Amino acid sequence: MTFRINRRGVLAGGAAALSASAFGLPGAAFGQETRLRLMWWGSQPRAERTFEVSNLFMEENPEVVIDGETVGWDDYWPRLATQVAGRNAPDIIQMDYRYIFEYARRGALAQLEGHVPDVLKVSDFDQAAIDGGSVDGSLYGISLGANSSAMMINAAAFEEAGIEIPDNSLTFDEMKRIGEEITKAGKRENFYGLSDGSGIEPFFENFVRQRGKALYTEDGELAFDAEDTREWFELWAAMRESKACVPPDLQALDKNQIETGMVSLGHAAVSYAHSNQLVGYQTINKDPIVMHPYPRIEPGVGGGHYRKPSMFFSVSSQCENPEAAAAYISFFVTDPDAATILDVERGVPESAAVREALAPQLDDTGRAAVEFIGGLGDLAGPLPPPPPLGAGEIDKMLLRISQEVSFGQHTPESGAEAFVTEAQSILSRG
Amino acid sequence: MTTIASPASPYVPTGGRFARALSRNGAGYMFLLPWFIGFFGLTAGPALVSLYLSFTNFDLLTEPRWIGTANYVRIATADPRFVASIQVTFFYVLLSVPLKLAFALLVAMALNRGMKGLPWYRAIFYLPSLLGTSVAIAVLWRQLFAGNGLVNSFLANFGIQGPSWISNPDYSLYTLVVLSVWQFGSPMIIFLAGLRQIPQDMYEAASLDGASKWRQFWKITLPLLTPVVFFNAVVQTIEAFKAFTPAFIISGGTGGPINSTLFYTLYLYQEAFGFFRMGYASALAWILLVIVALFTAFSFLTARYWVHYDD
Repeated sequence: MTFRINRRGVLAGGAAALSASAFGLPGAAFGQETRLRLMWWGSQPRAERTFEVSNLFMEENPEVVIDGETVGWDDYWPRLATQVAGRNAPDIIQMDYRYIFEYARRGALAQLEGHVPDVLKVSDFDQAAIDGGSVDGSLYGISLGANSSAMMINAAAFEEAGIEIPDNSLTFDEMKRIGEEITKAGKRENFYGLSDGSGIEPFFENFVRQRGKALYTEDGELAFDAEDTREWFELWAAMRESKACVPPDLQALDKNQIETGMVSLGHAAVSYAHSNQLVGYQTINKDPIVMHPYPRIEPGVGGGHYRKPSMFFSVSSQCENPEAAAAYISFFVTDPDAATILDVERGVPESAAVREALAPQLDDTGRAAVEFIGGLGDLAGPLPPPPPLGAGEIDKMLLRISQEVSFGQHTPESGAEAFVTEAQSILSRG
Repeated sequence: MTTIASPASPYVPTGGRFARALSRNGAGYMFLLPWFIGFFGLTAGPALVSLYLSFTNFDLLTEPRWIGTANYVRIATADPRFVASIQVTFFYVLLSVPLKLAFALLVAMALNRGMKGLPWYRAIFYLPSLLGTSVAIAVLWRQLFAGNGLVNSFLANFGIQGPSWISNPDYSLYTLVVLSVWQFGSPMIIFLAGLRQIPQDMYEAASLDGASKWRQFWKITLPLLTPVVFFNAVVQTIEAFKAFTPAFIISGGTGGPINSTLFYTLYLYQEAFGFFRMGYASALAWILLVIVALFTAFSFLTARYWVHYDD
């Protein structure tokens, strides 16, 4: 969308052309410039930071021009897919763990290990970050930061109801009690303790992982059963029953964006999100927001959370100058000035050196995001296998069936049966 | 297309009929060229490609593979969301089109009394139609009918705690129907033009005979207006089948809560751009084409029994 030529770039180009012609060389200076298109999803603060880093890179590398495009998450994937299909893919693609396997295996992404370590200086990355961006033994994505799923708590609403923010030993039972008390305190209009989490896929995943299962196996089969799902739906039916969480017609306003979460809309004191989104939540909420891990199913049981790459930069296989693209990505994740601009808005940086350099500059929100990832302790387990084809559809289906249960069209039991049956049919269709 | 036929000359120069036709009408075809390019390049071409794709498993990223009628078989036999989207769409069409036409006619008759400043009123009433398909109006609707929206604030004055209209499956589709009815502008303008065509002396004669206003409406206005009603009904029905933006914006692209606002076009969009099943979505698109064509054909077939042309 943006078309930038900075002044120095024009001058340098002009000077090069002059000198080339003066020495009787073929005037090849024009056309030497490398243009790279960069596309990412995200909010306005992310766009500002990304453009700023691109400008910094162009100042240091005047022969490269970075054109940035940005859209929201939901519109991003259709646009990317149509551009890839139209042989018009952006050179540098922001990629998600959910899609990287699909794109890599279909040959849409370039292998990056050839650029390590000379161009891509990722030697001090955590191994988990490198593994997370690898598909079938090749590196396709450079992690831009680590995050984990998290609950966003409106601290002011807790205080008004006279409730302390719980520590990491919090269980579902205690959370239910807290939700009921906040609702009963009635300090705000149309306000409840918790959001309804029954349709939130990462929350459900956390729940089944605590039960020693997962969403999907290595071979892309369902790794939980109808019994797990039934108990999940029953747990939330009890929450709704006792008014610990919002009623279904309020929850349905949540479009899985920061702006439409129940906390941001002022309907509940607790929402479910990802740790890097704390920056966004705090930006649009007047009340102080604190982060908390998901509750435990029983005291002492953990392992539901995991630390995952929040997003990657990948290079398109159609890119004409992958080395320049790799240089940009390397700058993005290792340059100290870039790190200062980017902060932890895309997650906690993966490079140990960058993390150290950044630590003293962080504000309270940034520090909380870093400490959250570091402080998960026994609540965190290993990275699950990548989601199979159709996982995105199952995510949307969970939301739909959770609504059918909460609006009373299904019992928890029949809803669980329907969910597992439909999920299996989606997976077999691929 | 009629051309002024020049009498055929017995002394025809060499060259076939085609060349002759071209030399005679060449300029005309040149002027039509932009339309030809647009029609074949942007309408007919992609439509035919989509017909081909509907028999493949095209997913945007890999080459399409021919799978015969598998997409159509699946739609007909094993797709509950297709059934849900058909139900929602038919409900929407059958409810919103008659309501919208009735409302448009009502406003048109109110405006047809030779009042002062008619062009202003006409423009104001037409305005919602101009904005109708825009994203902004859908966003506004979401704000009006949300849990803490304007509608519920108004109801609260009377001690009524309204539900969150747009996010409750019992009401969400009705809010979309209301949105559609509110955009009565374009049928209203056409009704207004039709009302102007009815000769005043008919009403005068009826009044002399003692016919009430009510009776005049049923015996004079409506019968003479049926060609306009017919035109509006066909156009609005097709529009309603194609409705997409309001459901997309208000439900956040999900067609929810549950499947309550899953318009056919929205389901098609989800399959194509949400789950990348372009082949399947192409099949859905062709089924929609057939449905709309059947509806239109049905309207034309029944028209002779209720549309009165002045001849």
